[in-house]
Amino acid sequence: MYVAVKGGEQAITRSLQLLAEARRGDLATPELTLDQIRQQLRLGVARVMQEGSLYDEELAAMAIRQAAGDMLEAIFLLRAYRTTLRRFGYTQPLDTNAMRVHRRVSGTFKDVPGGQVLGPTYDYTQRLLEFESAATSEPVEAAEPLPDAMPRVLDLLDAEALIERIDAGTDPEPADLTREPLMFPADRATRLQNLARGDEGFLLGMAYSTQRGYAETHPFAGEIRMGEVDVLICPEELGFTIEIGSITLTECQMINQFHGGNGLPPQFTRGYGLCMGEGERKAMSMALVDRTLRCDELGEPSYAPAQNHEFVLSHSDSVEASGFVQHLKLPHYVDFQAELSLLRTLSAQHAQRARDEEVTTQETSS
Amino acid sequence: MTSNYNFAFLDENTKRMLRRALLKAVAIPGYQVPFGSREMPLPYGWGTGGIQLTAALLGPDDVLKVIDQGADDTTNAVNIRRFFARVAGVATTERTIEASVIQTRHRIPETPLREDQILVFQVPEPEPLRTLEPREAETRTLHALADYGLMHVKLYEDIAQYGHIATSYDYPVLVDGRFLTSPSPIPKFDNPKLDHSPALMLFGAGREKRLYAIPPYTRVESLAFEDHPFEIQRWEHQCELCGADESYLDEVVVDDLGSRMFVCSDTDYCGQRRAEQAA
Amino acid sequence: MMLAAFAHPVFDSQRNFRELLQAMARPAVPRLVPTPAAAPAPILPATMAVLLTLCDADTALWLQQPNEEVASHLRFHAGVRLVQEPADADFALITEPSSMPPLARFAHGELRYPDRSASLIVQVEGFDGNAGRRFAGPGINDVEQLAIAGLPAEFWQQRAAMSAQLPLGVDLIFISGERMVALPRTTRVLED
Repeated sequence: MYVAVKGGEQAITRSLQLLAEARRGDLATPELTLDQIRQQLRLGVARVMQEGSLYDEELAAMAIRQAAGDMLEAIFLLRAYRTTLRRFGYTQPLDTNAMRVHRRVSGTFKDVPGGQVLGPTYDYTQRLLEFESAATSEPVEAAEPLPDAMPRVLDLLDAEALIERIDAGTDPEPADLTREPLMFPADRATRLQNLARGDEGFLLGMAYSTQRGYAETHPFAGEIRMGEVDVLICPEELGFTIEIGSITLTECQMINQFHGGNGLPPQFTRGYGLCMGEGERKAMSMALVDRTLRCDELGEPSYAPAQNHEFVLSHSDSVEASGFVQHLKLPHYVDFQAELSLLRTLSAQHAQRARDEEVTTQETSS
Repeated sequence: MTSNYNFAFLDENTKRMLRRALLKAVAIPGYQVPFGSREMPLPYGWGTGGIQLTAALLGPDDVLKVIDQGADDTTNAVNIRRFFARVAGVATTERTIEASVIQTRHRIPETPLREDQILVFQVPEPEPLRTLEPREAETRTLHALADYGLMHVKLYEDIAQYGHIATSYDYPVLVDGRFLTSPSPIPKFDNPKLDHSPALMLFGAGREKRLYAIPPYTRVESLAFEDHPFEIQRWEHQCELCGADESYLDEVVVDDLGSRMFVCSDTDYCGQRRAEQAA
Repeated sequence: MMLAAFAHPVFDSQRNFRELLQAMARPAVPRLVPTPAAAPAPILPATMAVLLTLCDADTALWLQQPNEEVASHLRFHAGVRLVQEPADADFALITEPSSMPPLARFAHGELRYPDRSASLIVQVEGFDGNAGRRFAGPGINDVEQLAIAGLPAEFWQQRAAMSAQLPLGVDLIFISGERMVALPRTTRVLED
């Protein structure tokens, strides 16, 4: 005899126990410490902070551990925690000109003032699995300290008036997408904010599509820099600026060909990417997508997915996408039942029509 | 109750934002109000819109019921109920008649609701025109002009192809004769309960960051044509547990041979009927 | 000395909101404001409760009769932004309806976003459910009757003119003593 299914509560409790056990693994192996995660999985921590929109290495490390290394789950955990935090104020715009640079490369000039600085990069590793522990016992010899503020590559072009000028001083206050819904049309500040929170894999795919003919933007990596930037706030009650700390950022400025149009002369144009922590792939992807999304403003024909504002911005967020894709595993039996009875009706009608036609054919032939 | 979080999880600023949006939603029935949806500790698509609305509504005196597919004991309903018991310490119930706030996914309870109850719907896609027109900028304009030709054409094409309208759930409605509105993916069986309901009905779409309302005693018409009036699903079966012949039935596969049985989707309704029969 | 606000901000706001929500959902029916809050003149405690429940740093409020005490009270307790022009207001507080600006001066929303419109909180002299105009529309089962005392004669003409622009319009919350009545834009006034 069938009885209505009960026991959702017990099922959840049991599942939570199994999850805790699976996450922890063999109790004989020590649990990962947050310091280990912060220090030895720092790029994962950076991604979680970046897409989680919360710069806190310890919380990001905690999220990664709790999510058993599932980055999207960790990002989700951090976002949900962020919701509950009180908002004390907004920082001053970050000044990346004053970045204390650890890495700075440009694909546009062989040498640039300040030099090409590789810093800690995987670019020239040979991707050979290192079967011995990677731990070096010897500290790297300290190089000459880099200058405090490194000149910008794009300023060289700016001096020749070959690249578009963008005057940040006249920008309106940006919207805050963590407080207000995304609306269309979305201005560039809003788009950049959306991309900065966007999923790295999604942006990478979108950026890649622009290089393969879906909205060619002819990009050059004008400058990529990574380093620390001071965070400043100006509390209402004080009336002057104070420094509250510094954060690591990766910034990418793409230079793109532009043959002129929409009343603008031929010149180089800019695509911009910025992310918290070390995140070069993300920053470069973002810069490519940012430039591609400027098609309307620059009078470029718009036909490719990466040029479509609603397509890109509505689908970039991993927390939204992951939730909705995975909600399909929730019960849908009410709607399925509705579809089932509809399909049965349609199928019966179809069969009836076929029978009617057969009868008609027989009558005609007899 | 967990004291590390504010009552009902959300901070007071967020609640005020939601409350202002809810008042606008009630004042403009069926219109989708954009709101600053927050990331909740449950995934988008799993009821974050409903949860935010419920969080903005709940007070210490409320009694909360949560259903999914009509049932109180489906895992997602259990999880949401546990969430509010944990962050708001509110009383919960499985009885429709005891609840002051009912959060639902995909059903309207069979038991008629009262004026002192509020029904909160979880909505995956608030825009009834979305599958016909993906651009939000465009659908906003269509609503502004009350231009619902797209939907009429779609329904008419159904009739041309199948002889009747082939939409069985999330069946679009016109609220107060003005806004075309998604009733959320309830079966069209439930659509008549939206019309002139004594209870206030609120709809939250967290991922899409929209909320809307159908006030009590408001005209809600399911779209139809004169020669093809709106019809709801009917079963040849009765509920095999309580014998109900006017409730929405779930089809359950009971053995490896694919034998089926039909039971009420609304577990409280079915349970109450069986209790009455036993008494 | 600064007056206090809600004794229990979380729960008082919640109670007031639930009644406000029901008031908006069931137009033309007076309801008690559950937890009035101390208020400097000319604001009534029930009115202040509505303001504290709905307003904060994200909302712009226009006062018909601004004074320093009221302004500093609202800034301190709600952090609300006060604006000079009725057209810029999310909320407007009318304390002397006989000289209130015409409804057309408040934001009515945009066709694509009719929610970007003002809500008016109007202190009036009294409600009488056995007299006055008859109302119908969403939230009203058949018909409700209500007389609202203290409104200028031209108010109803202005509101009728506004109805022609639906779904654009302003929503009204009337306060008298400890009671409130809502009249959303969709409520129709029946001709006698």
